[in-house]
Amino acid sequence: MVPGDIIRLEDVTAGYVVIKQGIKSIAREKMVVLRNINLRIKDGERVVIIGESGSGKTTLLRVILGLLKPFNGRVFVIGKDIYSLKWRERVKVLRQIGYVSQDPYKALNPSVKVGTILEEPLEALGISERGSRVKDILRLVNLPENVLNMYPMELSGGMRQRVLIARAIIHDPEVLILDEPTSALDVSMQAQIVNLINEIHRKLELAVLTVTHDLGVAQYLADRAVVLYRGEIIEEGDIDSIIKNPRNEYTRLLVSSY
Amino acid sequence: MVLAVKAVDLKIGYMDEEEKIYWAVRGVSFQVSESEIYCIVGESGCGKSTIGNAIAGILPSHAVTSGKLYIYDKKVIDNEKMDYTGIRGRVVSYIPQNPGTSLNPYETIEEQFYHVLSSVYGYDKRKSVETARRYLAMVELDPDKVLDYYPHELSGGMQQRAAISIALATGARIIVADEPTSSLDAHLRLQLIRLMRKLRDTVRLSLILITHDLVSAGRICDTIAVMYAGKIVEEGRGSLLLTEPLHPYTQMLVDAVPILGLKKPLKSIPGEPPQVGGEISWCVFRERCPVAFEKCGIHPPELYIMERKVSCWRYMNHGAR
Repeated sequence: MVPGDIIRLEDVTAGYVVIKQGIKSIAREKMVVLRNINLRIKDGERVVIIGESGSGKTTLLRVILGLLKPFNGRVFVIGKDIYSLKWRERVKVLRQIGYVSQDPYKALNPSVKVGTILEEPLEALGISERGSRVKDILRLVNLPENVLNMYPMELSGGMRQRVLIARAIIHDPEVLILDEPTSALDVSMQAQIVNLINEIHRKLELAVLTVTHDLGVAQYLADRAVVLYRGEIIEEGDIDSIIKNPRNEYTRLLVSSY
Repeated sequence: MVLAVKAVDLKIGYMDEEEKIYWAVRGVSFQVSESEIYCIVGESGCGKSTIGNAIAGILPSHAVTSGKLYIYDKKVIDNEKMDYTGIRGRVVSYIPQNPGTSLNPYETIEEQFYHVLSSVYGYDKRKSVETARRYLAMVELDPDKVLDYYPHELSGGMQQRAAISIALATGARIIVADEPTSSLDAHLRLQLIRLMRKLRDTVRLSLILITHDLVSAGRICDTIAVMYAGKIVEEGRGSLLLTEPLHPYTQMLVDAVPILGLKKPLKSIPGEPPQVGGEISWCVFRERCPVAFEKCGIHPPELYIMERKVSCWRYMNHGAR
């Protein structure tokens, strides 16, 4: 493990076990989705993973979030090989990750007020001074205090996304992971959220890992890009260089299609 | 020029249980010619999908209408009356945002063609397959493979094209597509854009696209209408509207769009659009407009300037008519 790495994947091959049922037998087959992935995210770095549907983006996130044990390879989060740890220890390490899932309309419990949604992680982690933390985080994501008494359905898509981001960073994680943070939003909201993520990165100095299929958004959210195609990293480097001079044929297709 | 769709002061609202009307479309007039690609763009809640539903004839039963809507020569909305006989599913077809939801997951594409064509035209299986082959080829799908596939065996882009081919096979001359590109990856989006332009040219199809994707709208459309809070605030020919926007809202929308390779600052529009609700007698964009002035307290007329329609008092004294 190199000092300063928040997340590091070493030769990770991952996927799912598919159960195939015959007339008289049941066979288990490995369906490999990610092959030999090596990835480093350094302290405070902004990285974007670019890939289209079926490229393995979601599987990669599941592996990093401790939800899917790879077939081979090791996954380090803040220097700990998470899949070699016992569950309780693993959960402690994974608290250093704040996660924002893809759809702001589905990711919030519709029957719970925003105030409770934001306090829940603090309560679970035994963090005191909840009230002041919640207010501070609302200011950071530019939400008024009256949203605390509102249900998610009373908020616009952009406001829900802000609540999701607030919930992900309220416990002060080392890295923020966002899965397609703008795909469900229209252009104005998209601009608001992109600017907000960058403001949070500046103020909290945390690492930000974003997964997206939108190159236009990617160029604003990262310094370094990783292009994923059919489960393999096919190109990696400075985002501006990748957009201006893509080396791989598939990356060229992505850039020219935009 | 044959008009495929014409709306005259069209208003559409939804009535709640206490008979209060929430207007989603607050009086719009526009026309779409045969073989034209017409895009309606705007933020969520601006009323664009409601207009699409009205053209497709799929407004819910609690919808309230006013004004007039013509599909070719037929008046389908005449104030509160609606009559889509011979139009819905025949002349106009609707492709929803997620094409997977419009295809029956338990039937192969061949069976789906048969169900539609046997009920619309009384075709038998053989004639239905012949027709299906022709229309699948038209949308650049291989009939030998696709006919036997279930929807889940097709990619998002292939599902989208299969849905379009079924719509075309029914004889639809107008297709309303709600956010057709939003669930597609970049290269599939480009394929669909090319296909739509081809269909416009080869079968003189009129396409009404509802989208918040300004980049795709600029690439596909002959005409773009920008909607805000139930009103069309600007309408003009294709990409010109996006490169030289006139209305402050269109300008702010364009400023919020990321352009690949050009890292200009992304400017979001402060505030939130007004909710659907009662009548608005002032300019709908007044609250968020950075250049609003006293006159914006009255709703602006539709002004014609540089072959464009713009609804903004700023152009009253700038050669607009």
